[in-house]
Parts: sequence; C-alpha cells; structure tokens
Amino acid sequence: MEWDWNFVWQIMPTLIDGLKITILATVLGAAVAAVVGLLFAILRMTAPKPIARVTSFIVEFIRGTPLLVQLYFIFYVLPDIGIRLPALLAGVIGLGLHYGTYAAEVYRAGIENVPRGQWEAAKATNLTGRQTWIHVILPQAIPPMIPALANYLIAMFKETPLLSAITVLELMNQAKSVANSSYRYIEPMTLVGVFFLVMSLISVVFLRWLEERYARMEER
Amino acid sequence: MSIRTILTMAAGATALMAAIAATPAFADDAKLEELKAQGFARVAIANEPPFTAVAADGKVSGAAPDVAREVFKRLGVADIVASISEYGAMIPGLQAGRHDVITAGLFMKPERCAAVAYSEPILCDAEAFALKKGNPLKLKSYKDIADNPDAKIGAPGGGTEEKLALEAGVPRDRVIVVPDGQSGLKMLQDGRIDAYSLPVLSINDLVAKANDPEIEVVAPVEGAPVYCDGAAFRKGDEALRDAFDVELAKLKESGEFAKIIEPYGFSAKAAMSTSRDKLCAAK
Repeated sequence: MEWDWNFVWQIMPTLIDGLKITILATVLGAAVAAVVGLLFAILRMTAPKPIARVTSFIVEFIRGTPLLVQLYFIFYVLPDIGIRLPALLAGVIGLGLHYGTYAAEVYRAGIENVPRGQWEAAKATNLTGRQTWIHVILPQAIPPMIPALANYLIAMFKETPLLSAITVLELMNQAKSVANSSYRYIEPMTLVGVFFLVMSLISVVFLRWLEERYARMEER
Repeated sequence: MSIRTILTMAAGATALMAAIAATPAFADDAKLEELKAQGFARVAIANEPPFTAVAADGKVSGAAPDVAREVFKRLGVADIVASISEYGAMIPGLQAGRHDVITAGLFMKPERCAAVAYSEPILCDAEAFALKKGNPLKLKSYKDIADNPDAKIGAPGGGTEEKLALEAGVPRDRVIVVPDGQSGLKMLQDGRIDAYSLPVLSINDLVAKANDPEIEVVAPVEGAPVYCDGAAFRKGDEALRDAFDVELAKLKESGEFAKIIEPYGFSAKAAMSTSRDKLCAAK
C-alpha cells in the first residue's frame, strides 16, 4: 500500500472540517472545565461540611470513572429521563465535567499554596472576603496553576477522538468515514496523527512560554 | 572475499529471486493449505442479526457465518473464528490481513467488487427504515430524507445504507453514523434520528427484539434495489475464492444452502437467481 498524494488533497477539506469540530469541542470543553473546576474547588474548600463532602464524592466519582463511559451515559442514558442533548453538546459537557474535576484539584492546590500569613494579613488589614480573594489570594494562586491547567488542556485535546463514539463528526470520525468509503486507512489516519501532532507541538511551545513567564514571576 | 563465496552468494540470490517470482503462482493454494493447517479461517462479522450474530456465550451464528462455516468444513477447514468489526473497517482489515474473509452481509457494489474478490451471491435483502409510529415525516425513500431538511437518518458507518443516503443527496450532517443496532434503536426512540436504515431482515429482527409499539418499519425502501452479499476475499486469494465458489455451488444445488439460510428469513432463490458478475456490474 503506497502513499497517494492525490487522495490526500481530496480528503483534506473533509478532515479540516473535522479538525474545526475537534478544536471547537476542546475550546468549549476547556471553558466548561475551567468554570466547573472552580465551582468544585470552592465548594470543597468553603462550603459547609455536608455539601463539601458531597462535592468531594462527586469529584472522586468522576475522576474514578472512564471518560468514555461518562460520554455514553450522557448521550445514551440521559434521554431516558428526558434530557436529550445534541451530540456535540453532550461531548462538551462530558469533557468539561471530566477535566473540571482535574482542574478542581489544580485550583485547590494553588489556593492552598498561598501562605497562611496572607490570609491573616488580609484579615488584619480589615479586607472583606471579596477583597481578600480578588486582591490577595487569587493573584498569588493563579500564576502557578497556569502550566498545570495548560497541561490538562493538551491532554483533553488528545482525548477528543473519544467523542466519535457518540457520533460527533470530529477529526477522528471524519477520518474513519473517509476510510470507510475509500478502504484506505494509511492517509486518513496519518493525517489525523499529523494534525494532532502539529496542534500539540504548537501548544507545547505556548506552554513552555507560560511556564517560563510564570516561573519567573514567582521568583520575584 | 573469495570467488567461491561470491559465487555462492550469487547463486543464493538467484534462488531467492526465483522463489520470490514463483510465490504468487502457488500462494493461492498455499492459502487454503495454510487455513487447513491452522484449522480455522478468520472471518469478519458485524453482529447484525440475522446476517451475523454473536450469542451471549460467544457462539457465532447468523446466516452468513453459518454458510461460510459449512463451506469451509467441506474445504477441509474445521472451523471459523470471528471478529466483530464495523462495516467500513472490514475491507481495510481484509487488505491488512486481519481476516481471511468477510462474511457479514457486506453487499456487493461495484466499488467494493473492485476492492475485494467476492464469492457468488449468498444473502439477498432489500433496504428498510425503522421509524416512529405513524411515520410522522412521511419518509419512504432516501430521496424523501434528502428533501426534508429536518429529517435525520442513522446508518452503520461504511455500510450500504450510509452510501445510499449520501448518494440520494442527504447532506453529511444529516447522515448520522450509528455504531450498532442497539444504539440506532435508542437514538430513534430518543428522537435523535428520524429513520434508522438497515436491510429489511435486520430491521425486523431489531424491532421485534425491541418490542416497542412506538416504532414501525417501512420496507422495502422505495427506489433502493435488492442487494446480495457474498463472502469477500482478499484480492490475490482468488484461488481460495474459486474453491469456495465450487463448494458453495454444490451446497446450493443440494438444497442444503436453502436449509441453512431460510430459517433466518433469507430467500435462497433470490441468491441463486443472480450472479456476482451481474451484481458487480450493477449501477
């Protein structure tokens, strides 16, 4: 089986359509994960004990089950209780929830790493809770989180082919459907790999830059 | 390096080249011998009753594997070992040497005939839709689905139905690739798709199992021809295919063929009244 460039150009537009969906799912999933993660972290750290306990359980539950199972659940089981989500939305929620729980741990570690003295100093200077969070804690907690969060973003990006299991026409699914009608796997699958590699490499460069920038901030 | 070594090497190389050149000539028979020696043939199936089915205990049945098992037995290959695959992945899998033959109700179409070596026809069936009771969108053909901008059709990825829908002009985003029969039915019940298309017997089997009064069947789909499948061999395994055809023809003549496939609902007459050449040439 040899490489056929004509075939590559012929399938390129279809694959690029798929790539767009992949990127869209990643970006939306990341947004959901960022918000959900923050919510989980705050609930776990500040809510009354019972609520914090329940949140901890939910987070552990989601972290302890495979994303693919969760996707099937959201897509195929939820309609039984009347919740029917479009495929892409179901995928974004699945990705967002799953990675939200990882992000929650990152948030928690970041916030807990702010020295106790900072909280006490804020209290001593009579800052309100809101002021303490916005002006004292978060500015110190967020920078060290960024590289870890970006790492999860790349991991999530690479997990998007799982969405093909719930009929989202993302890059992997498009490649499969191309292969299905042409009986050739070599070009579509190679291109999928190349697309992911290129996107990941770009992200890695960006990640290095983030790490350097925020590592330096901490040294100051 | 002595002259003798060089000569030996040259002789060796020549012998090797001769062997390589000779390989294709006896590779065909070798394939059958190889299968006999290992005692089984690897077949690709889809778990789509009544074409192919896997029981809860892992036993492979269904009309297509049953016919193949019988033919292989007569060829001296004791059994078949099946692996479940998506329709679209079957031909690439065959080309990659993952299976020896596809026995899955993979209907003969000209572009598939170009990619694999089919046996003579085995199972014939028309296409059908499963849809919501009362057929609210009045879908009777693939064209109807193409014409209705709200209608979504589900079909197995790389299957005949997906291709028929796309050929009828249904845009890609309204042809939902469904991984298996159960998901297809579930998506139909949940209203994610408006019609789920499979061959008539598969749909009937699925709907009968689902036992859901809200689902009904349109069969056959208007304008879609009757297709027949055959056992699909790798290009280059034509000798094995020919041996398979010989035994298949005997099976058809003796009436045992009908005995195997008719309990599943297939018509032996339909398969015997047509031929590979006709089906592969069909538009």
